[in-house]
Amino acid sequence: MTGSLIVNNLAGLMMVTSLLVIGAKRPVASCWLYALQSLLLVLIFLTLGQTLGAHQLSLWAISAFITKVVLVPVIMAYAFRKMDDPSANGSLIGPVMLMLAAAVIVLLCWFVVEPVQVPLLASLKPALAVSLGHFMLGLLCIVTQRNILKQVFGYCLMENGSHLTLALLANRAPELVEIGIATDAIFAVIVMAVLARKIYRTLNTLNVEQLTALKG
Amino acid sequence: MMSNTTMLFLLLLTPLAFSLLTFACRLLGNAARACVTLLHFIGIMLLLVVSLWVVMQVYQQGDILAAGRWLHLDSLSALFLAILGIIGCLTGLYSIGYMRHEVDEGEISVATLCHYYGFFHLFLFTMLLVITSNNLILMWAAIEATTLSSAFLVGLYGQSSSLEAAWKYIIICTVGVAFGLFGTILVYANAASFMPDPNDAIFWTEVLKHATQLDPMLMHLAFVFILIGFGTKTGLFPMHAWLPDAHSEAPSPTSALLSAVLLNCALLIIIRYYIIISTTLGHDFTGTLLMVFGFLSVAVAAFFILVQRDIKRLLAYSSVENMGLIAVAIGIGGPLGILAALLHTLNHSLAKTLLFCGSGNVLLKYGTRDITVAKGMLKCMPFSAVLLAGGALALGGMPPFNIFLSEFMTVTAGLAAGHITLTIVLLLLLTVVLAGLVRMVASVLFGAKPEEVNKGELGILTTLPMLILLVLMLVMGTHIPQPVSRLLENAVHIVMNNKPGTHAQPLSWPWAVQNHSSAAEPQAGEVK
Repeated sequence: MTGSLIVNNLAGLMMVTSLLVIGAKRPVASCWLYALQSLLLVLIFLTLGQTLGAHQLSLWAISAFITKVVLVPVIMAYAFRKMDDPSANGSLIGPVMLMLAAAVIVLLCWFVVEPVQVPLLASLKPALAVSLGHFMLGLLCIVTQRNILKQVFGYCLMENGSHLTLALLANRAPELVEIGIATDAIFAVIVMAVLARKIYRTLNTLNVEQLTALKG
Repeated sequence: MMSNTTMLFLLLLTPLAFSLLTFACRLLGNAARACVTLLHFIGIMLLLVVSLWVVMQVYQQGDILAAGRWLHLDSLSALFLAILGIIGCLTGLYSIGYMRHEVDEGEISVATLCHYYGFFHLFLFTMLLVITSNNLILMWAAIEATTLSSAFLVGLYGQSSSLEAAWKYIIICTVGVAFGLFGTILVYANAASFMPDPNDAIFWTEVLKHATQLDPMLMHLAFVFILIGFGTKTGLFPMHAWLPDAHSEAPSPTSALLSAVLLNCALLIIIRYYIIISTTLGHDFTGTLLMVFGFLSVAVAAFFILVQRDIKRLLAYSSVENMGLIAVAIGIGGPLGILAALLHTLNHSLAKTLLFCGSGNVLLKYGTRDITVAKGMLKCMPFSAVLLAGGALALGGMPPFNIFLSEFMTVTAGLAAGHITLTIVLLLLLTVVLAGLVRMVASVLFGAKPEEVNKGELGILTTLPMLILLVLMLVMGTHIPQPVSRLLENAVHIVMNNKPGTHAQPLSWPWAVQNHSSAAEPQAGEVK
């Protein structure tokens, strides 16, 4: 029971860090906030592993620590350090609206998750709602942010959300599967970072609204 | 006799090994260009041989389960494997001629050439992984990997428009496919909750055995997620936004590979879940959803085809249209609808590869994709022009080519299933598509050629693949070889989830196949 309580609270904290990742002014600051969030995810994995007696989750926690707390933030911080475009630092919605949207998303996800019969401890339902909400928040970030680097963070948030869902619902999956997904996530970030750098060098912008050559 | 596991590992490792080798060629200095081209040539030839050999094994011995059930091939995936082998080889061959021209012209450097071939084989590897995976979550991871390995191919030229296309491609597809993951997790978690051994719930073949016990409410939700997620990658409306950009900005051989193989791979995953979830829910819900998304794709794409000036964007919208048509045919269902869908998948791949190769020749010759500028092709390269025209008319549904056969079967299936209005509107839309293709061909072939364009073909490597494809299309439209028709029929039984041994009604082909009683043939899996 205490295990579930810890998991739910950590999941709630993940939401808060997400808002900070989206709201941060500089991309490098977002990197470290993302690392913090991934650390919360690792803690959730460890607690869940104890609560559910799922030993694979300890292994997941180790691989998630290596990939998400260390590798991905370092790669992003290294790739993003010299890119800056003040014109792209804006969002379609302000911070207050963002927080409001996040609240609405979590509430909606709760109503979606609540009646669904899933093989999961009832006390972990809030964490499941948060994981889905986290995914949606990442999507919101991609849709509303003008900076393409922020879109990469949006992808990372979605990735963390779906990873939490996996841990809650599919924690008996073989370790190899988890490694496959983690590898995908790292390569996705690398490919996006390389592309973003190419775009920055070729077009001198990070603003997604400048990417409008292709239409029709 | 080689074990199945060794055979499938050989299949998967061939492109992976050649990917690494071609990447490494970059270090060779002056010899890099010759070496990478030679290695690439050996790689695609080996791929063709190994994949067709594996398809023959499936044809002879039925289902193959290998590597602790992680890998699986049946007649359905064998069909997609055959497409991958043939199209991979032909676009690879075409690449050699196309890229030689691009390097000579200084459009790309030799280092980029090595990257191109490296990613080409890596892309093939990830698609092979999609086709052979039996592990539900690995299937998803492999689809995600196809996006990552092909993003560089899309942005290869490094111009602002191609980078923009690559960015849109990777963002839209990773987001879309993430929805697919939720669908995957729902199916897996639900299956794991009641299956005797929860560890089996990750395997497609095992979940299918218990499909009737899955929770209907969750499966409704799962199928919506799956269709949105993998439908993004298949190019179904309204998630198709990345497709025209990526297909038009990529180098032409890559466009062909994206359109003719990648879209099919995502489609295969949708079909895999369609099989499971239709067994749980019946055909109504899944079929209707597929029909709606498919029909909208055809309708929207048809009008874009009609007004498009960029030849490769036009072809890209034609891919949306054809994927829509396949979804409609699966949605119509019944043995005839499914057979039409699978046949159309194969036919569309052949036709679209031919056309993208043709558009590549136009691009190399004229330096533009605008069909109001690139004119008089019949005068400056008559052989390519005739092949392009033949392919375009075939793609539009002209007899005696293969697309006519599968579109005819789709229409017949629609009428037989009582979807009269839908079928009539579909026929009208197909007429619009034909008009768009004829307009494109007329514009490119005739008229006065620009002064600065020289006469002459571009060489055997850029025309031979087109010729081979046109011949294949003619054969597939008139006399389908028996192994191909048998493979298709077995694949239909898998999609219909007919139990081995039950005597399903024999499939009726309108023409092009000599009638034989397919029901009397042993089912896949039984022989072994």
